[in-house]
Amino acid sequence: MTVPRPVPRSNTFAEDNPYALERVRVLRVYHLTELEKLFLFRFEDPTIAENWTFKPGQFVQLTIPGIGEVPISVCSSPMRQGFFELCIRKAGKVTTAVHKLKPGDTVLVRGPYGNGFPVDKWEGMDLLLIAAGLGTAPLRSVFLYAMDNRWKYGNITFINTARYGKDLLFYKELEAMKDIAEAENVKIIQSVTRDPDWPGPKGRPQNFIVEANTNPKNTAVAICGPPRMYKDVFEALINYGYRPENIYVTLERMMKCGIGKCGHCNVGTSTSWKYVCKDGPVFTYFDIVSTPGMLD
Amino acid sequence: MRYVKLPKENTYEFLERLKDWGILYAPVKISEKFYDFREIENVKEVEFHYNRTIMPPKKFFFLPREKMFEFNLSKVEYKEAIEKVEPFVVFGVHACDIFGLKIMDTIYLDELPDKYYKVRREKGIIIGISCVPDEYCFCNLRETDFADDGFDLFLHELPDGWLVRVGTPTGHRIVDKNLRLFEEVTSQDVCNFRDFENKKQQMFKYHEDWADLRYLLELETEHPMWDEQSDICLACGNCNTTCPTCRCFDVQDIPNIDGVTGARVRRWDSCQLVRHGMVAGGHNFRPTKKSRFMNRYMCKNSYVEKLGLSYCVGCGRCSYFCPAEISFVRNLRTILGLEESSCPPRISEEIPKRGFAYGPSVGGGEQ
Repeated sequence: MTVPRPVPRSNTFAEDNPYALERVRVLRVYHLTELEKLFLFRFEDPTIAENWTFKPGQFVQLTIPGIGEVPISVCSSPMRQGFFELCIRKAGKVTTAVHKLKPGDTVLVRGPYGNGFPVDKWEGMDLLLIAAGLGTAPLRSVFLYAMDNRWKYGNITFINTARYGKDLLFYKELEAMKDIAEAENVKIIQSVTRDPDWPGPKGRPQNFIVEANTNPKNTAVAICGPPRMYKDVFEALINYGYRPENIYVTLERMMKCGIGKCGHCNVGTSTSWKYVCKDGPVFTYFDIVSTPGMLD
Repeated sequence: MRYVKLPKENTYEFLERLKDWGILYAPVKISEKFYDFREIENVKEVEFHYNRTIMPPKKFFFLPREKMFEFNLSKVEYKEAIEKVEPFVVFGVHACDIFGLKIMDTIYLDELPDKYYKVRREKGIIIGISCVPDEYCFCNLRETDFADDGFDLFLHELPDGWLVRVGTPTGHRIVDKNLRLFEEVTSQDVCNFRDFENKKQQMFKYHEDWADLRYLLELETEHPMWDEQSDICLACGNCNTTCPTCRCFDVQDIPNIDGVTGARVRRWDSCQLVRHGMVAGGHNFRPTKKSRFMNRYMCKNSYVEKLGLSYCVGCGRCSYFCPAEISFVRNLRTILGLEESSCPPRISEEIPKRGFAYGPSVGGGEQ
């Protein structure tokens, strides 16, 4: 009989510390692109592993011991309990350290934080997901969640774009899903904006809205991408009859605390002052319109 | 509310007795011009009539630099590092600073209380003191010139002592333990109190309605004031570090020289510094000095729902300690259309005097 290896209790914090960290182990590392890797984590504490869950669109604070902490959106489906995935671009000090992680390494996380996408409210609606660049990561979570709960949603379209073909995140995964997806009224469009040699569709995300198999009057739209993309996408969506009240975006800021205290993600003006970590990172189109500074 | 009177001759003994409740901090004069809250050995050093301290009393609760965790890299272990906090008394806190702490509470003691702040808040006794405004004060416009709560005791100056308002059970205990130091409040004391408050109101430089300021700030984002004033701003962050309600912090993991152990440390941060709005990959959401300058004005004039106030309490520190002599009040009044002359004074050969924004403008002299 094999004796199960004792799992060290990772929580060395009193329960009332909102910054308390939990140990997680890297199970797998996948190379996605030159700059991005996908990491599969599991909590060392079995109780937490069993109970920990999140909403698509929420983020965690990931600590690389001795280097620092960084906020990262969860990109897996909350339906896969005990595991979660983070897609991380090598961009700064901490993320460079993350890229050195190997399976078996231990790091720490806290969270999930933020409001996430209102996936429950969207039940019965069509879904249109529009991602550009690293924006694919949080939307993949929504997409996988919707696929896991396929009966809850109508038609689904996922527009995944990047500048170059080699930068398309989750390209292979999404391509592999295409056949099954089409049979289930799910459309996946993967396009590039700058790559002349790309054999597939070319163009900015707004060019593909017309191809979406979603009913504009009853579609929840989720958008994530670089700030300058949003304006054109909004315009196109509204032109095609998508309802502004159903448009959601997720924003990026340098969240240090994740719970609305440190002030780094403050955005807005005097009558509309928001914390991206607490009031967001998912905001509605109306939030964007009434809160200057959210996108630029 | 309970009211008692502390006769003037008992003041120092009262201060001495406060030491029974913890380490005593109070304002002292630290240089020709400046005051600061310091630990008190000799109660005679305590300054009762000061305009403002350099650092607001938030420094006792939200430390400028604080160790949050200790880590061990070989064990991949982070441990909560919370200092044992001794009880302490902060004496001589002005009403605006009491509101400053109440605003900090709305952030740090909300549904997810910050443990480090909470521990200190529970250990700290606050004793307020009445004050008279100088030309930098505008707490009357912010409705923070009189604190209803947020203190254990509040001392109002009378000609022959102090009218003491008791705000909390701890306040009652302090009074009860030292009952021999106190007297009953007489009708003459009430008269004197009223007189003091009336005089104080008259001493404020401005008496106007700022109710629509928040809206005007948004509507006037193209106002020339923003360019002119952000241009002279040094982006040093002095306004943030002296502000009683600035709450931004930065977090860093600092390894020890052994490379194995270390600490996660947080420290005050400033939204005026360029890296404040930076995200991974080098994009900065507030890349220009103007955008950061505006950000502070928007933040300070936004609304604290729980208290029905703005985040600015009108203490005047950001203007008083600004090395570029930018006046927060004057800029806000410019937005409100209440300032007659254009925002910046004309460039002059003369060395500008502190407070020029309120007196005749340097080199201009049209006021």
